[in-house]
Amino acid sequence: MNPWVIAWRNVVRNRRRSLLSGGIVVFGFTSFALAGGFMAQSFYGLRNSTIHSGLGHLQFADAGAFDQNDDTTLEHGLGNTDAIIAALAQDPAVKVVMPRIEFFGLATAGLRSVPFMGVGVDPMAEARGSDIPASVSQGRWLTPGQREVVLGRGLARHLNAKVGDTLTLLATTPDGVLNAVDANIAGIADVLVKELSDRYLATTLPLAQELLNVSNVVSKISVDLHEPADVAATGQRLLAKLRPLSPDISVKRWDELAAFYGQVKMLYIGIFGFMGAILMVVVFLAAINTTLMTVTERTREIGTLRALGARRGSLVKNFVAEAILLALVASGAGALLSIVISLALNATGIVLPPPPGSTHGFPIHIQFFPASYLVATLAMSVTLAMAAYFPARRAARASIVTSLAHV
Amino acid sequence: MNHTPIVSARGLSRHYPLGKETVPALSEADLDVMQTDFLILQGPSGSGKTTLINLLGLLDSPDAGSIHLDGVNAASLSDDARSDARRDRFGFIFQGFNLVPVLTAAENIAYPMVLKRAAAANIQKRTRELLAAVGLADKAEVRPDLLSGGQRQRVAIARALANAPGVIFADEPTANLDTHTADTILDLMQQLNREQGVAFVIATHDPRVMARAGRMITLRDGRIVETPA
Repeated sequence: MNPWVIAWRNVVRNRRRSLLSGGIVVFGFTSFALAGGFMAQSFYGLRNSTIHSGLGHLQFADAGAFDQNDDTTLEHGLGNTDAIIAALAQDPAVKVVMPRIEFFGLATAGLRSVPFMGVGVDPMAEARGSDIPASVSQGRWLTPGQREVVLGRGLARHLNAKVGDTLTLLATTPDGVLNAVDANIAGIADVLVKELSDRYLATTLPLAQELLNVSNVVSKISVDLHEPADVAATGQRLLAKLRPLSPDISVKRWDELAAFYGQVKMLYIGIFGFMGAILMVVVFLAAINTTLMTVTERTREIGTLRALGARRGSLVKNFVAEAILLALVASGAGALLSIVISLALNATGIVLPPPPGSTHGFPIHIQFFPASYLVATLAMSVTLAMAAYFPARRAARASIVTSLAHV
Repeated sequence: MNHTPIVSARGLSRHYPLGKETVPALSEADLDVMQTDFLILQGPSGSGKTTLINLLGLLDSPDAGSIHLDGVNAASLSDDARSDARRDRFGFIFQGFNLVPVLTAAENIAYPMVLKRAAAANIQKRTRELLAAVGLADKAEVRPDLLSGGQRQRVAIARALANAPGVIFADEPTANLDTHTADTILDLMQQLNREQGVAFVIATHDPRVMARAGRMITLRDGRIVETPA
């Protein structure tokens, strides 16, 4: 006498009620799975956009640049850059090396002057390892050897400047001397974060070095790896390789630098965790109603089984087993429904509104995320088991005589 | 023959609440159930027959008095121990048969043995024997809803015998059966009593059942008013 077979017979004994409970589980499972898939896709997208915003998988810089704020531009700059870049580029784990100089200045177009946050880059390397070049929607990305800049759309609007115009860039050198260069606007980029879009200016590394009157020095070097799974180990290996070239060099992983990513992730987990808890309560309350009816209907049977010698605990176990069996079967149906809804939603191309601080919405995409299916199955099984446990426990503890007299 | 009672009750009393009052269902009942007893409890409705059977079968607990099971006071047993005692030493036959609807006839009979965690092979063998003993060998895989009243009661008797109990308690076992079927069931019970030495305690107000009594006790208004010598 297989207890699971008996449990299944009891599940199908009252089809309408089991269908109702199963439907509640399918609803709960689908909500869990879709929210999990959406969350996983959001994390994946945010992770990729964070890494390809210029952060790279790894960043190498002078230890002081990570630990302290620069009082002056390039106060903690990384020297011997050419040798470091060459050493990194030769390593088989490295995909792209992106040296950068970060600086602040004032851009002037005609009578308008607007402060900017500048970044001097290797245009070819950025085109391979960063999303910024692809975000240029007017004009084009930087060309090596040209005296030109790419502006964020917000900065261009504040300057009332357009592609082809000439700007004067003013900045303070590490020695504290004001310096200025002229540059043409090559393109205008759609930078996602509005505050950054209002200040973003990219130029070539040589022009930035000329403006700041430095050579063979950068703020940091971002590195994209071929195999992102080994970021930590690769970072330490590369650091050991670079130490002879620059004793003060240090390395940080992308996730150590991207505080925003960690905060957003925790926020999402908090929101979805809270919603998940509410969902479980809703499923519990809906399921306990039908379980209570089932247990009440079987009160006389419970009395009989108790009379025959069934212990209270074993009766409760039987009801919980029935609930778990129903939850598992309904979760299977929920999984199929979730896949169908995911495919349908992904095919619609619905664009969601921009998240806070962003200028662009993004198309909805529900990822197939097995962990969320697993969590949903577990959550539904636990919820239904609890919904069965309490009424069954109460019935099993009732007087046998009263149960036998139940009509 | 062993003259030690299987179940011994002394001074049993049981009251049930009725609104703000409590109504006495049984008062100061003394009774011994002996091996091979075919004991009939008779009396009108509300006389306390079912209450006495429930107390003797450890389905209920008395407000006063004691029940001893092979010399052990039942009041000292935990709920699990009382369950085990019902499973191993008692059998029950109910007026409404009380078979589990999702189990086949064979599974209903096997259920008490499964509770006892008997070996699967032994359960199968014993179930076959019991089905044959109650004349239902060909109904093993039939669910209760497809059996007649008499067949259901036979399954209930076989189930009560599953763990070879010392005593079987039957509460109005023929009440839902026609005359012919009731006679057949009573024949079977007497045969089991004679051949297997199982004691029966039967609550009834059916004269046909009373006519077969080995011993008969009469209850009225919750008191035992006639006890055979």
